[in-house]
Amino acid sequence: MSISSAPPTPAVRSPPAPHPVRELDDVSVMIGGQGGDGTLTVSDLLGRYFRTQGLYVYTSRTVLSRIRGGHADASVRASRTPIAAVKPAVDLILAFDQEAAEIGRTELSPEGWILYDSSVFQLNDSRAVGFPFATLVGGAIGQPIYKNTAAYGAISVLMGFDPVLTRRVIEDRFQRRGGEALAKNLRALELGQTSAKGAGVTARWSILPGAAHDLILTTGNQAAALGFVVGGGRFFAGYPITPATEVMEYLMRYLPAYHGVVRQAEDELAAINMVIGAAYAGARAITSTSGPGLSLMTEGIGHAGAAEIPLVVVDCQRVGPSTGQPTRHEQSDLTHLAHLGHGEFPRFILSPESPEDAFYLAAESLNLAERWRLPVILLLDQALSQNTITSPRFDASKVRIDRSGMWTPEELAQRPEYKTYEFSESGRSRYMPPGTPGVWGEVTGNEHDEWGHVSVNPVNRRKMMAKRMGKMAAARTELPPSRIYGSEKARIGLIGFGSTGGPVREAQQLLSAQGVPTRYLQLRTLWPLPTHELGPFLDSVDIAHVVEHNYTGQLAGLIREVLPQYHAKLRSLVKYDGFTFRAPEIVRPVTEGL
Amino acid sequence: MVKSFQPVQSTWCPGCGDFGVLAALKRAAAAQKVPQHELTVVGGIGCSGGIHNFLELNGVHALHGRLLAQAVGVKLANPQLTVVAAGGDGDGYAIGMGHFIHAFKKNVSILYVVMNNETYGLTKGQASPTSVVGFEGNVEPPFDAILTALSIRADNFIARTFSGDPKTMTKILEEALAFNRAGRGFAFVEDLSPCVTYNDTFKLWREKILDLSTLPGYDPTDRAAVFRLYTETLESGRIPVGVMHRPAEAPSAPASLELKLLPDRVGPAKAAIGLEENLPEYQKLLKTIG
Repeated sequence: MSISSAPPTPAVRSPPAPHPVRELDDVSVMIGGQGGDGTLTVSDLLGRYFRTQGLYVYTSRTVLSRIRGGHADASVRASRTPIAAVKPAVDLILAFDQEAAEIGRTELSPEGWILYDSSVFQLNDSRAVGFPFATLVGGAIGQPIYKNTAAYGAISVLMGFDPVLTRRVIEDRFQRRGGEALAKNLRALELGQTSAKGAGVTARWSILPGAAHDLILTTGNQAAALGFVVGGGRFFAGYPITPATEVMEYLMRYLPAYHGVVRQAEDELAAINMVIGAAYAGARAITSTSGPGLSLMTEGIGHAGAAEIPLVVVDCQRVGPSTGQPTRHEQSDLTHLAHLGHGEFPRFILSPESPEDAFYLAAESLNLAERWRLPVILLLDQALSQNTITSPRFDASKVRIDRSGMWTPEELAQRPEYKTYEFSESGRSRYMPPGTPGVWGEVTGNEHDEWGHVSVNPVNRRKMMAKRMGKMAAARTELPPSRIYGSEKARIGLIGFGSTGGPVREAQQLLSAQGVPTRYLQLRTLWPLPTHELGPFLDSVDIAHVVEHNYTGQLAGLIREVLPQYHAKLRSLVKYDGFTFRAPEIVRPVTEGL
Repeated sequence: MVKSFQPVQSTWCPGCGDFGVLAALKRAAAAQKVPQHELTVVGGIGCSGGIHNFLELNGVHALHGRLLAQAVGVKLANPQLTVVAAGGDGDGYAIGMGHFIHAFKKNVSILYVVMNNETYGLTKGQASPTSVVGFEGNVEPPFDAILTALSIRADNFIARTFSGDPKTMTKILEEALAFNRAGRGFAFVEDLSPCVTYNDTFKLWREKILDLSTLPGYDPTDRAAVFRLYTETLESGRIPVGVMHRPAEAPSAPASLELKLLPDRVGPAKAAIGLEENLPEYQKLLKTIG
């Protein structure tokens, strides 16, 4: 196969006929083109259509870090069973540029098809059908930008979509934009449909409907923002950074209605310190960032650990170090976070596995930070942050607000004294923010006594270190527990965190079909590592593949650090090319090890 | 009565200019009747940044250079508090410069007092951003905070005082606190506060200061005129002090950031976060998610 570079032509190549109609219960479409071609709109329209069919939907995108131009891909997957990963084989490619066809063909399923814009390039491939989308729409509507909706129309014919629902998706999507935009999109839809039919295209596939209704399509970033609102988060300061910015943008939308404040700071140093100030004043305070911003915030997070200031940092991991690959996926901040900062201080790292989990853990992270008076990291990764996924509706009534870390003025009035850093068995000291009549306190990152007076007394230093560091052991059973998926009798273990659970669980199904049962431990607290869960899990298996997106096998390294006795059982299964695991990439190494 | 934090004996050298600020701040707060529990002092790193340890009120020791960011966070979280940030010239004009400039732009109603001694006293006398050429081998021209402040066109209160004139300083700090407490925006006061150990400039500065407000026709609402007069005074070898800028009159719309965001002064720290009272609103919000 080769891609010819013939001049643009309006010619339409027909697919060979006759052909059988294939039934699909799991379909994947990749849409690619230049930035500004509208690939994300097609992805969105397809996602909406699939949802009308009761299917679970997962969309992802690979974009370059620029506003316009450059090649960008989007992919939509729809399935009758829950999915949280990119499908290993693509069923249909929609290519607005040559690069899309080139990239996509390497992942195209043997029965797959390529639809491409023949007014831009020519493709010499027996599986390719060309439509001059841009000139077709440019001539009839006068604006080639509607080519994406025409392409959606052609896909609807090829995939045998219900015509009424196909049209309703356009209506729902563009109604808000006003009459003209809607009319032009409907016209583009018809152009795409009629030209496909005129070229002899008939339904190749029948997408089997499912029963997944009343779900929402959301991302981890949106879910975390919502979880913070419901969990009582009322102050946010941050600095724009891919792939974390949406957390700030959603909170800008949501928080003002609740006496909340969202500020875009001058840099991450200001952001973390504004959050520290707000938390000191008694607000539940949050920031979100990614690798480079996290590096700048590190000093502030350490200060929060020493001064016992509760705050939550969302880290949406991307490819590092340095500027790395801002729009690509990685899980390589883990070791940094576990050992973050100079000196020693306690911190919790919570790791949701899905947007739904991110919603509830975001709310819980605020409770934990305030109760234990320390920094909590809510760890996401690019795929979890930005890929959209169908998810059960979030239930606010299931969230709990725990204010056990704070004094009430009434309780405090009954006490002889208020010490900011009062010693206790658990290491927790309850807090009273400034503004309470008759009470004031000192908060400092200098080593201090219970009152907050600067202290270099060695006895006090030992006690204060024990108080702070002891929180991690004392809180252990309160931290989010791991989840185990798969066969209880399996002797092959898998361990992972974050969005990696999606492809791992898909791999488990493939392995199970090959007669290889597995157990998967999805860690939801990464620091302190839950040795009470890891130990029994590792005892129950002969081998455990630690599946993660980084070069050095960071999670495997941390497990070896705290549980060295399991060293020989652990295998690292890593990927660090910027893309998420496809299930076969997990299946292969597991079966090769048998 | 709940026993609360008790201040410690000052650790400053006898004769330090910072004592002037400590005394003037106490007097200004008392004159403005700021309740002790509503007053928060955020200190930076350096000798002057320890000021909160010597005051009986809410004290915060911020990271080096980050006191303004923390103070802004405190005020935005609870606009009912009176917030004072206090630190030195190294803290504010070197490591903290980014936040310094943005503080004028943000215009949050906090008072920022910089005790400028033109040296790093705590680390034993290195050159600072405000050091004159020749001090400890310094070859860079000194940074001028007042000119920088005047260059940012926001409705701030800007002044310079001298620790050798505690009476005027108290008056100016009092005006600055009143400006803050009325929610009118950011107040910046640079106090010339000599380091008696590493850069004792008391005598020199006393000879050279010129209080601009004593000049006939001086109008601190006229930014351009003050800028010119200030520059000319510097070029004549004198050191200008006094109120350098004050907005013409109280504006009809809120000028400060906290009142733009939180007109009723109920901020994140005082917001109701209980689940039950918010549940209907939360459920409405969650219903909008597609």
